[in-house]
Amino acid sequence: MRVIRSRWAAAVLLAICEVRASPLSSAQQTATASPAPAEQFPGKPIYETRCSSCHGLDGAGVLGPNIQGVPLRLGDGPVTSIITNGLPGTGMAAFGGVLKSDEIQQIVDYLRSLGRKDTGVATGDPAKGKIVYDSSGCSSCHIIRGEGGANGPDLTMVGAKRGVNYLKTAILYPGTDLPQDPVRLESGGMTQYLFVHVVTKDGQAMDGTRVIEDSFRIVLKDANGKFHSFRKGDLRELKKEPGKSVMASYKDKLSADEVNNLVAYLAGLKEAYQ
Amino acid sequence: MRIVRSLLFSACFLACALASFAQNVPYDRILHADREPQSWLTYGGSYKSQQFSALKQVNKLNVSQLKVAWIYQPTHPMSNVEASPIVADGVMYIVEPPSTVVALDVRTGLRLWTYSPPLPEHIVAIGLYSTSRGVAVLDDTVYLAEADAYLVAISAKNGAVRWRVHVADNVMGYAMTGPPLAINGKIIVGIGGSEAAVRGFIDAYDAKTGKRLWRLWTTPRPGEPGADTWGVGAPESAGATTWNNGSYDHDLNLIYWGTGNPAPDFNDDDRPGDNLYTCSLLAIDADTGKLKWYFQFSPHENHDWDSDEPVVLFEAPIDGKPRKLIGFANRNGFYYVLDRVTGKFITGRPFVRETWAKGLDENGRPIPAPNQQPTLGAGTLVYPSITGGVDWTSPSYSPQTGLFYVSVHEMGAYFIKGTGKIEPGPPKGIVGGGGIRALAGDQAVGAIRALEATTGKMKWEFRMLGPAWIPVLSTAGGLVFSGSDEGNFFALDADTGKPLWDFFLGFAARSNPTSFEVDGKQYIFISAGNIFVAFKLP
Repeated sequence: MRVIRSRWAAAVLLAICEVRASPLSSAQQTATASPAPAEQFPGKPIYETRCSSCHGLDGAGVLGPNIQGVPLRLGDGPVTSIITNGLPGTGMAAFGGVLKSDEIQQIVDYLRSLGRKDTGVATGDPAKGKIVYDSSGCSSCHIIRGEGGANGPDLTMVGAKRGVNYLKTAILYPGTDLPQDPVRLESGGMTQYLFVHVVTKDGQAMDGTRVIEDSFRIVLKDANGKFHSFRKGDLRELKKEPGKSVMASYKDKLSADEVNNLVAYLAGLKEAYQ
Repeated sequence: MRIVRSLLFSACFLACALASFAQNVPYDRILHADREPQSWLTYGGSYKSQQFSALKQVNKLNVSQLKVAWIYQPTHPMSNVEASPIVADGVMYIVEPPSTVVALDVRTGLRLWTYSPPLPEHIVAIGLYSTSRGVAVLDDTVYLAEADAYLVAISAKNGAVRWRVHVADNVMGYAMTGPPLAINGKIIVGIGGSEAAVRGFIDAYDAKTGKRLWRLWTTPRPGEPGADTWGVGAPESAGATTWNNGSYDHDLNLIYWGTGNPAPDFNDDDRPGDNLYTCSLLAIDADTGKLKWYFQFSPHENHDWDSDEPVVLFEAPIDGKPRKLIGFANRNGFYYVLDRVTGKFITGRPFVRETWAKGLDENGRPIPAPNQQPTLGAGTLVYPSITGGVDWTSPSYSPQTGLFYVSVHEMGAYFIKGTGKIEPGPPKGIVGGGGIRALAGDQAVGAIRALEATTGKMKWEFRMLGPAWIPVLSTAGGLVFSGSDEGNFFALDADTGKPLWDFFLGFAARSNPTSFEVDGKQYIFISAGNIFVAFKLP
């Protein structure tokens, strides 16, 4: 049995793609800002009557996709346009003739707040944290402002999307809270960066992260960033391992101060790359 | 001379073409749809809604060779297609969302004509999509229930309007998505809008004139039978909408039609009692519109588990005696077998994981489990989820195997109680508030399950990655066709569930898979996203 094992341990692989957002726009935020509770948003009741039947009360998706914090990923303008004009070819209706423009903006503001998991405070030194990031091999898997590898999530705006506690957990105990695919299936979701082990009928084994899957096929990404497509009927074994990550824990590799500094650095990454 | 010959040829060609598309589907043809499997004459294939094709050119041995014959793609952007086709005499009738009827040449997929009603600029659609699940055809007329709650009759030959009648007020939240049911001289339609707190009904219209013949309200007013199931002094009952298609038994002259949830859905404070006739199956006298019997699946429902699923009629022996039966896979997670003459419960059992009931009593009434109602705040975890064990998508019954095939959702959700109440005037959104939080991650799966139709016992299942909202078709070729929500369309062995063929459509299908035959070739047909795809053997 040929086992394709990995170079994963060399790098910090943070799962970032699901938004854990602050309700404030990125320009308004600081690394230590505590987001306003969702109840303070005038868009909340509008969202609940107009949007929640398809997207869920928490925005995690029911019939429609997960839209938690979607303005942080797409920007306010595109999200406003989608709500106003709908998305042809999908179930997303146009609300331009139903809601006033300020009501749509209130929904956008509220969407930014949805999905927030924690409001921890960064106590480290961001400048020292950047040194930790550069010296620990993080960039071999992660991109910041166009620089770095592509196996892990892009961290350019991770501070706007993730809370401090989440970032710390992801460094110390990767895999414990993997994000969900924001493009949700009609009902159900897909864990991103899911660790998968497969063995083909002719005995070839491989570990990788799931890129996409349907009822008949699965595509994995290996340690070198190469995609591998399998028909499930051609596999002898297909083992999904939730809770496991291809990223090694840095619990024993970094000191507590180094971890805090790294978290402070990441928490401060909030501006989109222009 | 050459010009004259050419003109003569053109005239002859035109006459032949028109002749080959001559459309006439009298009631007797629909009643005996099983005698012409080359056609597909109702939403579910026949008045029994079995989603079964007697064609067997495509079978277990050759289905792996199935190829795309043609694709029809509408010329303008639109929302998801949910319409199932009617096919007769070489012509297919489909609907582009929200309400455009299109006639296609089945051989080529080429468009013959279209009809678009004069819709308002803004269509009220609360808790539903503005779409259509298909048309009905009777004699030489096509019938469409429009998104703005009008019913229109158009010529099957060219789409010319014959009559158009106002069914209900769209501004108040009434909307239509279900296919009409065409029976002898009558067009039967249901209505949607429970989330807007409208009051449900079922209507019958004269097929020739559009005159309304009867209306059966599906919730009572004070003093009417069932009013006491809404509490003393309760506000006017609302809900029990009838937004899908029904079935029909000619010999009993009964129409079978399901009803939806009460309103407000997640706030039951003002509606104590069973809330008749919500979440029920109604048997209606086709001539008078009078209720012959009812069976309520989910008394006092507050999880959005409508009972608008297609009603499958079949015949089978029970305790050695032949019976007229109904098989019903309900959104509440239970499969039911009912006597369709009397409405009496015969048997029932869960077909997915469910936590809200301990079981069914001898009359089929659920025995509630504790602490399974929506609550304020974080909500209550309940199985199945808001989408139910299966939602509105058609199951299939095969007379060959005696199996009932259904695409199921294995999924739970946190149900959160609402605090809003019904208010007078046009609805501003979903009435009552509340809702659900879906479970995260890969915790939800889907499956095609084959149940013994007379018992509900599972014979096999084919697991899918996620829960799917895709109807099922079974065929005399020993096949079951359905799809996944990821965009797969596939054929399974009807006896074992073994996958035999699959094709990636790129988007989840929402219409009934159907089958028909033209020029000696069997077609398998499905829509997905914005496209309609016909498959056949090379």
